[in-house]
Parts: sequence; structure tokens; C-alpha cells
Amino acid sequence: MRFSLQREALLKPLQQVVGVVERRQTLPVLANLLVNVSDGRVSFTGTDLEVEMVAAAATSTSEAGEITIPARKLFDICRALPDGVNVDVKLNGDRVVVTAGRSRFTLATLPASEFPVVDNIEVVERVELPEATLKNLMDRTAFAMAHQDVRYYLNGMLVDLRENALRCVATDGHRLALGETAVQAKVSQRRQIIIPRKGVLELQGLFENGDGLVELEFGKNHLRVRRGDVQFTSKLIDGRFPDYEAVIPIGADKEVRISRDELRTALQRAAILSNEKYRGVKLDVAPSRLGIIAHNPEQEEAHEELEADTSVSDLSVGFNVNYLLDALGALSGEMVLLCLRDGQSSCLLRAVDSDESRHVVMPLRL
Amino acid sequence: MSKLRAIIHVDMDAFYAAIEELDHPPWRGLPLVVGELGPRSVVSTASYAARRYGIRSAMPTLAAQRLCPQALFVPVRMSRYREVSAEVFGVFAEVSPEIEGLSLDEAFLDVTRSLRLFGGEVERIGRYLKQEIHQRTGLNASVGMAHNKLLAKLASELSKPDGFLRIQPDQVHAVLDPLPVGRLWTVGKVAEASLHRLGIHTVGELRFAEPRRLLQACGNQAALWQRLANGLDERPVDSAAEEKSVSAESTFVTDLTTLDQSLSWLAQLAERVGERLRAHGLQGRTVTVKLRKPPFETHTRQLSLPQPSDSTDVLLDAGRELLRRWWAAEKSPSLRLLGIGMSQFAPVPQSGLFAAPAEQGGRDQLADRINRKFGRGSLVRGVVLKSRKPGPEES
Repeated sequence: MRFSLQREALLKPLQQVVGVVERRQTLPVLANLLVNVSDGRVSFTGTDLEVEMVAAAATSTSEAGEITIPARKLFDICRALPDGVNVDVKLNGDRVVVTAGRSRFTLATLPASEFPVVDNIEVVERVELPEATLKNLMDRTAFAMAHQDVRYYLNGMLVDLRENALRCVATDGHRLALGETAVQAKVSQRRQIIIPRKGVLELQGLFENGDGLVELEFGKNHLRVRRGDVQFTSKLIDGRFPDYEAVIPIGADKEVRISRDELRTALQRAAILSNEKYRGVKLDVAPSRLGIIAHNPEQEEAHEELEADTSVSDLSVGFNVNYLLDALGALSGEMVLLCLRDGQSSCLLRAVDSDESRHVVMPLRL
Repeated sequence: MSKLRAIIHVDMDAFYAAIEELDHPPWRGLPLVVGELGPRSVVSTASYAARRYGIRSAMPTLAAQRLCPQALFVPVRMSRYREVSAEVFGVFAEVSPEIEGLSLDEAFLDVTRSLRLFGGEVERIGRYLKQEIHQRTGLNASVGMAHNKLLAKLASELSKPDGFLRIQPDQVHAVLDPLPVGRLWTVGKVAEASLHRLGIHTVGELRFAEPRRLLQACGNQAALWQRLANGLDERPVDSAAEEKSVSAESTFVTDLTTLDQSLSWLAQLAERVGERLRAHGLQGRTVTVKLRKPPFETHTRQLSLPQPSDSTDVLLDAGRELLRRWWAAEKSPSLRLLGIGMSQFAPVPQSGLFAAPAEQGGRDQLADRINRKFGRGSLVRGVVLKSRKPGPEES
């Protein structure tokens, strides 16, 4: 096995796969990358048994073959080399020799046969989406995923593929973020899969705001995403995501239209004096105005008053200010719409002119 | 020093056994043991007649029977004891709102602010409690009075049964000094042994021990012990002392040897804990599973939840995880006792999306209502039915 690449051309695929490799592994071979050279191409595979990333590059000088090389070390060496240098990687016995200019490194290897790869997945559905759209959907919802919740099915993102639409939904049980986009593809039946948290974070890192298309393959137990030279595969969380549509309020008919930016900055100021643990702020709605009040245990108080387009009177409800700020940050558009019901019910937030992005926040009893 | 407090410790004498004697006149005066005979069952309470044979609480009932073959063993009737307990606590509430209940039959009362109402003497209040409890329930209470909790409890213990004792501030050392160190609060078996190694056997010896030597041998606790040995104890009577944990456990007549069986029992116990959590409006952050393998080796395993919860599902998911991990790590797993509990209660102002009436919360609340109406176990998880065959002995 042998290949040569310019440092930058090598660094790019390495960067894409190295994030998948965990710093502590259960198997020694999981610290390595699988390097495969064939037909003038070199591909790198990293895995943690849950998420697998494969990135490839074309190479001029090559000898076919495959081997596994310590991921972190190869990446760190590459990064530390001077710009523009040509890097040659060659298998020599059970060692790999990396040569670049006057630098030479000899690395240990493990046989490729020990490296676990996800074989072909049983594809049940396939859709193509613009990369930027998918990135946008994930970036605007992923923050609401749970982290190490015992309800393991919340530690990930629901991808809900339905006729003409693809939805991403994330929730930690207290707030929920939903993003939706139209898809043209014919969908044979509705598919719901849950991508584990780590897979979502890797995908977010991978996607760029390009015009290109990405291909999503829905398998029985896997999701596979292909984009140009990169192939990403993630196991799915085997569980039932809660019925998220049931918690998107319908009865919240008390509407408040307000400048997103004004609300966001006012909440940021009020947050300074909110309780550090529960982060509570109270929203007071009266005709044409929205009041924000925050207290802390030291009895300090913040009071903000904003102009708002609303006819609601006498409504008071508490929320975790971070949840509101997260939601406002994930929305776009100048004006946002808050739909409220009463002091015990959730709040729906969305842009006034679009419901492609929706956020539900449960109240805080203050 | 600020004005001394007036603290009363009330402890009912052989509470469960006394209630049984009260309800069954022919049993009076007999050696009576609350707790049924069985291979794994233990003595819950023994009457004073039974205690003369050396029978003590928590002793296996079979051992108790060997000590006193003619003893009468009767089943535990917890709901009846609760009823009487409520009556006793009703009397407490008449003398002070500051009540810290320690169990069904034991409480601390801070009556400092009630003294004027009763003529300035703590004994008047103590006497009132004793008389009223006897009049309303027919049972004897031991009453200890002092200016802190440590001494009040000691006073009731020293004068039991049918006790009535006040320890005056100038009697503290006369009472405390001759007592064995093990009698002090927080001094357990291990601590006692390490004190003995220093040649300290009585509270008086502890009081005069060299603090530095004590610190070296016994660690940080030493300073507390010396304060206690001096009769100093500032712990307040904590009427808000909510339950610190809610748990349920079961000892099995035959050891559980399969994971399936154990998981089924776990579900049954978790349902009970969940119901009690919701009944008390408590949401906990820490789930503990207690595992005892034969012959008598007890392990506990804990897990912290990301959010406080009172959901049976959340409790059970965590419990299953802990049980599975333990089971996988044991060479030949087998259980004679299994328990699950929730602790670390926190006020939870944040409402949940899926705990709303529609989903899980709704299911829990529905189950609670049905079980309250038709009796415990009317509505259970399917997995519980696997464990339904033999009846458990609860503790």
C-alpha cells in the first residue's frame, strides 16, 4: 500500500474522519483509520462502531492495498507539516513510513481485517437534498437534543420523512425544535428515524453551505449520507420518539407579534438577573406591550418593557430564558410570533411569515 | 449564649406490638412479636414481654422463636399503625407546629415558643402529651425533655418504657459521662471500635480526650463527637424535613436467580415508589437500587437523572439499567433482597413536554387513581405479572 498527496489534499479527508475516532476506545483498532488505496484513489475510514465516516481523495502515485494507521498521530503529523509539502505514505512490513521533505515518521499498524466496517445497508428510502438546506435544518434544531437522558430516544434527532416534506425534530423534554423543508422525491411511506447525538454533531461539522446535493439513504438500522467524496453512516437509535405533533400547541390562540431582535436583546439583559439554576423570566402580556421580569435569590430585579403587536391582556407566564433565547436564535426573519395560552401552557415560537421552523417551550412555575 | 430551647422527644413504647395488644385483648401481656414466622422474615417490633427473652427488632423471626418458642407471631398491619400514628401526631400539633417526625412513632418537637401558653414549664407540655396520647389511643409514650435534640432523645431512651424525664442543663455531664460512647448520635460500630482502641469507652472519657489525638485517629467526625459528648447540639427541629428518600424493597422466600424474574420484581417495586413519589409531590434526581445476594451481602448502585422526575417509567428505566449492570458483573448473580428508591428531591419548577396530561404523566396519574380506588396492584405493568406467584415479605 502506498500513496502520495500534497499536505492540504491529505489534511482535508483526515480532518473529516478523525472527529469520529474516540479518544478512548474499547478496541485498539478503533484508534486507527482504515486506509484503502485502489484505482488511483485513497480512502480513509474512521469509526466508533456507532458512527462511521469515509472520506476519499484522488492520488497520482499509488500502490493498491489496505492497512490501519493510528488516526490521531497521522492527523497531528500532517497538521504540523509545512504548507504545500508532498506527503508520501508507504507500508513497509508491519510499519507505515510517512515521508515529507526531510521529515520521516514510522508508525505502527494493525491489519485491515481487524477493522469493523459497516457493510451495505438495506436501503428502504432514498432522498436527495441541497446540502445547505439540510445543514440549515440541523443547525436550527440540534441544540434542543437531550444529553445523556435516561429516555435514550431523546439523545438524538428525529428525521421524519413524509410525503413532500422532511422534518428534523429535537427535544430534551422541556422544549422542542422542529424544522421542515419541502422535498420533491416520491416517498413510498412515512419514515421516522432517530440519529444519535454524536452522528448529528458529526454531520453538522461535515456539512457546508454549498449548493451541492447530498443523498440520504434510510436503512432499517442505519442512515447513510453521501456527499461527493464523503460517506457518512450512523446506526440509528432503536426506540420510539415521543409523539411530537401532540405537544405542538393548537389551542395557543393568544398571539404576540414582536421584533425578534428587540425581544432577544431584552431577554439577554433580563437573564443577567435571573436565578442561576432555573433561569426563570416572567413574561407579562398586556395590549400592545410585553413586559419581561427577572429575579434572583438576592432579590435583585430586572424589568424590560417592549412594544408588541398584541391585543392579549392580563397574561403572565414564566419560562427558562435560555430556552427562549435558543429558539429566537434559531429563527430567522425580523418579526416573531409567540402563541400563548395561559400561565401553565407551553409557548409556540415561529417567524411571523413562515412556519418551517417551530419551537415549543414549556413554562416554568415561578 | 442565647436563650435555651425547649425540645421534646416523644417515642411510643413498642408501638406496633402495643397496638396489636390494644386491638386483641387476649394477647395482652404475652410475648408478642409483630412479624410473621418465615425463613426470611424479621421481627418488626417485639412487646416488652417478648423483649425479656432477648427478642429485638430486625432479628430473624426464626431466631426469635428459638429464644421464646411460646411467643405469638402476628402479621404487620401497617395501615392500622398509620391510623394510630396520625392520631398521635394530631396531639403533637396541639402543642407546637414545629414537629420533626422521625417515623410513625417517634418525633422531635420544638416547644420553645409554646412555653408561655402552657405556663412556662416544659414538663407541663410533656405531661400533656403523655396524658392526651394515652387517653386518645390507649398507648404509652415515652417523653424526653431537654434543651437540645441529643439530650431530649437520650432522656426518653433512658426513662423508657412509659418514660418521662427532663435533663436540666446542670445535669448534662452527670447523665452523659457514664454512658458508653456508642450511645452518641453518629457514633456507629466502626467509630466505636476506633474510640475503644484509644481507650475511650465512656462519653466522659471522650469529653476529656485530647482533640488532636482524636482527630488523627478518627478524622473530621471527632470534633462533632466531642461537642456531642459535651452535650452540645445545635441541630434545629426541622419540621420541613421532608422525606429524604422514597423506596421499596422485598426479601424473597426463594432467591431470584434469573434476570427476568428480578426485572419483573423491580417493576413492581418501582410502581410502588412512583406512586408514593407522586402522592407526596416529590421529584427525585437519584435512583438507587439495593441488591442483597445470599447469604447476606448487600450492594447498592446509584445513578443520577439529568432532571428530577416522579415518573415510574424514568425510575424503572434507570433501575433496570443499574440492575442489568450489576447482574452482568456478578459471577453467579442471585438475589435474596431487591429494592429501588428515589432520593435527592428537588423542587421542579420546569414543566415537561411529555409529562403533560397527554403522555406518560397521564398514564401514571391514571394508574394511581385506579390503584387508590380498587386497591394496590389493580393496574400494573405487564412485566410485573411474572413475579406475581409467591407473596413477598416486605420490610
